Amino acid sequence: MSSSTGNGPPPKPWEGARASSGPAPFKPPSPGSTSDVVEASGTAKPGEIVNTPQRNPSATGTALARPVPTRPWEQNYGSSYGVNAGYGSGMGYNSGYGSGTLGSYGGYGSSYGGGMYGNSMYRGGYGSSGMYGGSGMYGGSGMYGGGLGGPMTGGYGMGMGGPYGEQDPNNPYGAPPSPPGFWLSALRVMHGVVTFFGRVAMLIDQNTQAFHLFMSALLQLFDRSGMLYGELARFVFRLLGIRTKSRKVHPEGPHGPGHPSATHGHNHIEGPKAAPSGSWDNVWSDDAVRGN
Amino acid sequence: MPFFKTSFNGYAVKFSPFFENRLAVATSQNFGILGNGRIHVLDLNPSGPITEIASFDTADGVYDCTWSENNENLLVSAIADGSVKLWDLALPLTQNPIRSLHEHTREVHSVDWNPVRRDSFLSSSWDDTIKLWTIDRPTSVRTFKEHAYCVYSAIWNPRHGDVFASASGDCTLRIWDVREPNSTMILPAHEFEILSCDWNKYDDCLIATASVDKSIKVWDVRSFRVPVTVLNGHTYAVRKVKFSPHRESLIASCSYDMTVCLWDYQVEDALVGRYDHHTEFAVGVDMSVLVEGLFASTGWDELVYVWQHGTDPRAP
Repeated sequence: MSSSTGNGPPPKPWEGARASSGPAPFKPPSPGSTSDVVEASGTAKPGEIVNTPQRNPSATGTALARPVPTRPWEQNYGSSYGVNAGYGSGMGYNSGYGSGTLGSYGGYGSSYGGGMYGNSMYRGGYGSSGMYGGSGMYGGSGMYGGGLGGPMTGGYGMGMGGPYGEQDPNNPYGAPPSPPGFWLSALRVMHGVVTFFGRVAMLIDQNTQAFHLFMSALLQLFDRSGMLYGELARFVFRLLGIRTKSRKVHPEGPHGPGHPSATHGHNHIEGPKAAPSGSWDNVWSDDAVRGN
Repeated sequence: MPFFKTSFNGYAVKFSPFFENRLAVATSQNFGILGNGRIHVLDLNPSGPITEIASFDTADGVYDCTWSENNENLLVSAIADGSVKLWDLALPLTQNPIRSLHEHTREVHSVDWNPVRRDSFLSSSWDDTIKLWTIDRPTSVRTFKEHAYCVYSAIWNPRHGDVFASASGDCTLRIWDVREPNSTMILPAHEFEILSCDWNKYDDCLIATASVDKSIKVWDVRSFRVPVTVLNGHTYAVRKVKFSPHRESLIASCSYDMTVCLWDYQVEDALVGRYDHHTEFAVGVDMSVLVEGLFASTGWDELVYVWQHGTDPRAP
């Protein structure tokens, strides 16, 4: 803070105005700096890091009137989103995960599970034979089970940023090889994906109606594009000389429109009045031909 | 008044408490979902375009910013990577940020400088906590953890240096005293998430809340069973609410319905102005403390508008 002037800004417009419409329910302000005031009150707790999953709202004695929804990034999505949910917990977003989190590993699709467990492998240094070799390495649930049972469980709680390159001090098998670049980069990409889904979910959270609007706009767009492509295809067909619409209106008889048979058929359709009678003589031009 | 085009999507705008022609804008790439962030510091010219006097780049989106109340060059920003960064306009770009405070475990959604004691600020985060920081400490002084969902906004009482309010996605508004271990009041203010709150500058017991339920409610903390008034008029979630520094009953709000609205909560037809100059979600609004009736707004259309109340923000 090189240029700290120590001077306050110009006075606020509300300074000097009447303070309140009545006695305020606040304790009178304490003199001194903020840090002194907080420390004097005994509530100071410098640099506390709070991990969301560890936090227990009921412990504060201020239970809510209504149930609180699951955080979007903690929801257990269907299997198609398994990568998201699983990743969030696997990544140890917030370093301390309890056993409940570990239990959620069971829900992983096998295809994604590989990467996750593979990385815990690197840290723990388990599976000493064929570290990166066997296909079972990255996919096998048996492998994973081993890792969990061991003293390396703590490793799962490590945060995403950085620890993958570090040595595990508890590793009984010596220093594990540094993780391959591929997995590391894949993890980073996945981390981005998780962040992405988390933030999208938050935005949807904040603006439920707009999400509805967005989805209907998208559907409308698909609808329109479908129509557009339909029209385009029809145009191309026409260029190629292919008729896409069959002419169903007034199907013509085999002898052409002027032929009596066609007219006769028409007449027949007219209904029960088809019987020849004098009054109809002039109605049909080919009555004479038919000889009445 | 002219407008300013930012390169990313706007998230917040704040007038400087020291200079009547200066404002800071927090922006994020790709709607704040993924990508970088940038803080613009802008100067208004009486005649001519808005000029940028500085800009700071961050590796993640910037969701909010606030000016220091005891140093005209100091700016605090809320970064989506969970950090709070301090920037000094007097220093060259290479020496900035002068401080990066990383204690929140998820995105930081708001920062607010204490206008009374002037030596501390608050940050609220999606990790459900609020942190109190002072400029003389490298770590937070205190963490307030009671909310059961993301805390979207934490705002100091403009008349009491120990009291602040926080708005959260757990549908409650909480009033805190930094000397107390727990919150002093819990207001179940809305049926849906509360995205923003602000204190009345002239009556330190009145507070306004803005919610996903499209409404703004004004509360009296002495009798918080029923709201003083409910302001309906936005057609989507209300993103930010702000009491006027100059007029006791004037409230500005911006919403996902892309409008900025002005309300006088004491009159029957409370909606006294509606500005629809933004073509995307309007997410940032501020009123100048030094110039009465001067407004600024920003939104996802990457535009910053500054205008005098009653005039068209788009007018050249």
